[in-house]
Amino acid sequence: MMTPTSEQELSECVSQAKGPIAIKGGGTRGVGVDGDVLNTNGLKGIDLYEPGALTVVVKAGTELSEIETTLAGERQRLAFEPMDYRGLLGLEGEPTIGGIVAGNISGPRRIQVGAARDFTLGVRFVDGQGTIVKNGGRVMKNVTGYDLVKLMSGSWGTLGVLSEVSLKVLPMPEAEATLRVHGLDLNDAVGAMAAALGSPYDVSGAAHLPNNDTGVTMIRVEGFTDSVSYRTAQLREALAKFGGEITVKENADDAWAAVRDVENFHGKDGDVWRISVKPSDGPAVVAAIDPLEAQFDWAGGLVWVRTEQGSDVRAKLSGITGHATLVRGTGQPRFQPETIGVAALSAGLRQRFDPRGILNAGLMTA
Amino acid sequence: MVTNHRMPRNEEGIATVVGVLKQQFGDRFQTGEAIREQHGHTTTWLENQWPDAVVFARDKDEIAAIVKVCATHKVPVIPFGTGTSLEGHVNAPAGGICIDVMQMDKILAVYPDDLSCVVQPGVTREQLNTHLRDQGLFFPIDPGANASLGGMAATSASGTNAVRYGTMKDNVMAVEVVMADGRTIRTAQRAKKSSAGYDLTRLMVGSEGTLGLFTEITLKLQGIPEAISSARCTFPSVDAACQTVMQVIQYGIPVARIELLDALQVKACNAYSKLDLPEEPLLLLEFHGSDAGVIEQAEMFGSIAVEHGGGGYTSTTSTEERNKLWQARHDAYWATLQLRPGAMGISTDVCVPISRLAECVSQAQERLKADAFISPIVGHVGDGNFHCLLLIDKANEDEMERAAVFVSWLNDLAISMDGTCTGEHGIGQGKMPYLERELGAATVDAMIAIKMALDPDGIMNPGKIVHG
Repeated sequence: MMTPTSEQELSECVSQAKGPIAIKGGGTRGVGVDGDVLNTNGLKGIDLYEPGALTVVVKAGTELSEIETTLAGERQRLAFEPMDYRGLLGLEGEPTIGGIVAGNISGPRRIQVGAARDFTLGVRFVDGQGTIVKNGGRVMKNVTGYDLVKLMSGSWGTLGVLSEVSLKVLPMPEAEATLRVHGLDLNDAVGAMAAALGSPYDVSGAAHLPNNDTGVTMIRVEGFTDSVSYRTAQLREALAKFGGEITVKENADDAWAAVRDVENFHGKDGDVWRISVKPSDGPAVVAAIDPLEAQFDWAGGLVWVRTEQGSDVRAKLSGITGHATLVRGTGQPRFQPETIGVAALSAGLRQRFDPRGILNAGLMTA
Repeated sequence: MVTNHRMPRNEEGIATVVGVLKQQFGDRFQTGEAIREQHGHTTTWLENQWPDAVVFARDKDEIAAIVKVCATHKVPVIPFGTGTSLEGHVNAPAGGICIDVMQMDKILAVYPDDLSCVVQPGVTREQLNTHLRDQGLFFPIDPGANASLGGMAATSASGTNAVRYGTMKDNVMAVEVVMADGRTIRTAQRAKKSSAGYDLTRLMVGSEGTLGLFTEITLKLQGIPEAISSARCTFPSVDAACQTVMQVIQYGIPVARIELLDALQVKACNAYSKLDLPEEPLLLLEFHGSDAGVIEQAEMFGSIAVEHGGGGYTSTTSTEERNKLWQARHDAYWATLQLRPGAMGISTDVCVPISRLAECVSQAQERLKADAFISPIVGHVGDGNFHCLLLIDKANEDEMERAAVFVSWLNDLAISMDGTCTGEHGIGQGKMPYLERELGAATVDAMIAIKMALDPDGIMNPGKIVHG
């Protein structure tokens, strides 16, 4: 195992590698690839935190919990609400920011504010030949050439090993409230969530937990106290037409963490798939798969399903555009195979960034 | 004029392609000088480099066919929308074929439930918003010009709304692109989360036509807010205004727009738009939200502004008053040109961390004064991005030279503050020298590697961003 303690050492580890490298942060995302383990835990620390500029610069191996604690001290947060996979995958370890950015890991608030990728302002990384590359920085926007920042986020280490990231942070809201609409079926739930998101009331979460016939549809609003109570009241009125009893819960952080981490599936058997479609297709996805259990986030655009082991979910989804990721289980590729044209582009990029094909090899190819 | 980098021309290939396309496109294939000049770069001090011909494409199959012919003969392809970019993006330094997409102006679909739409590249932002209004939706990105959405995606445009709604990068969900070999790909499906693999959408957005040519663009839409309010406040100094901005942002007041105009800019706007604003640094804000929310937000801003010495604070929910102010802001460019009739405007575009904004703007002002330039400053200050608009007599070589020195100095200053030389205008030809200064040789090499991977013959809008 290699545990570099500086970017320079990281560069040497990669340039001198004789074979495949398996990049590991906290090891909490279930990304198992073959190769010498390159642990980023030696690259730790918050280099710069400027609350007034809403930016934080951290080394890639820094634990998420440390960053969140530091930000909370200034009443700020990572607004993209990164999901914690440990419960779902039955893993230990501490999630690192490098893993979160590399995997573009987000949560329910993504529908309002965007993904981890959208909050990543800058990256430093080491490519497959050991070259240190940086792009972006601490500015809120830039148009300086090709966007390597967004390219790195979601590339799961296959184009380079992150050494440092610069993130945009946001103030914590003064208040939060969650409307819970009870007893809607999947179609009505998606209708209610679309109505909430299409309203002017700035919804920051829209999820539906079917739970047999007592399904709960959750709509979250955040902001200044008066504004939250006003918007909650308006939404209650707007959603009344869907039937279903409506209750309001304040400070429902735990309930949203449960949605984010798909707690309903924890400790249960079977494969877990994460399916991204356009929100109005959510019910069709469930109908096509007929899973053991399902959950909607992102207003129906993100469908979590738990299926019997070995189910070929992708085959059942033919005709519905979107993509399915196998989060837990075996027998199918983890990532949705790309169309031929896109796969050729991706292969071309990998060939340029990692010509020896040693970084998390095989992870993003079918 | 600033002379651009020259690139070798493939005369034989160009002659062949011109012959082939002339046959295929008839009167939609033009080689007249006036049309070619108009399709070269005309907006600033960069010299105009004409394409050899302009084709007015009507659909994606035509675009794919044109690119295929050009690929076969290794002839440059330059996409063209409204021609309002600022850094020589549409120039043809090696000649070639300009594809004008403005006849591809159809809004192909609007999906109100999914808050998205699909457009052709020649649709302009105003056309789209007019179309969406009846459905209670809007598209928030508003660069100064009524630009084409294809061009806006190509340059990753932003504008006054970016502080709340982001830039094109945050609002393009997928693109259909004709690649350098003439093949068509779609970067992502129409899903909320865009991609399974690498984020090719955001690689294409902002690539300035150097990797491929957009034929369809899927955009994220917003619901029209229940209420809109605006506010304005004058400040004793640019520094006080910037401190106010920082606190507003830190408080989490969800401003939709927060714009700075320096005293000279206010003077120009007063004269041009017949206003009587105090000729001091001005912050102009807009809030989007619920009826109660927008009033509350404006008041919160007011109390922060007063703490920082702000005066003459007013807010309004009247559409008429608001439009008058924002129209003046949008006309700032034209207002500025009136300060020195006949002069040419040269816009800088630096962006710095918000914590360095006050310092950066102040230093720019001092230097402008010391160099005796007439140059107002406007800024999308919520993002840390501001523009100095230098008014230059382009016949005066000394003035041109000094302007170039100033621009270079300011870009380096921003870079030294962890900022960037371009927050929204892009690299094009004009800023190519700064790319390496800002990002380093290794990063530029990484960009060249991308260019080589996707466009090995270097035919897509050559001579922009990097030399592939």
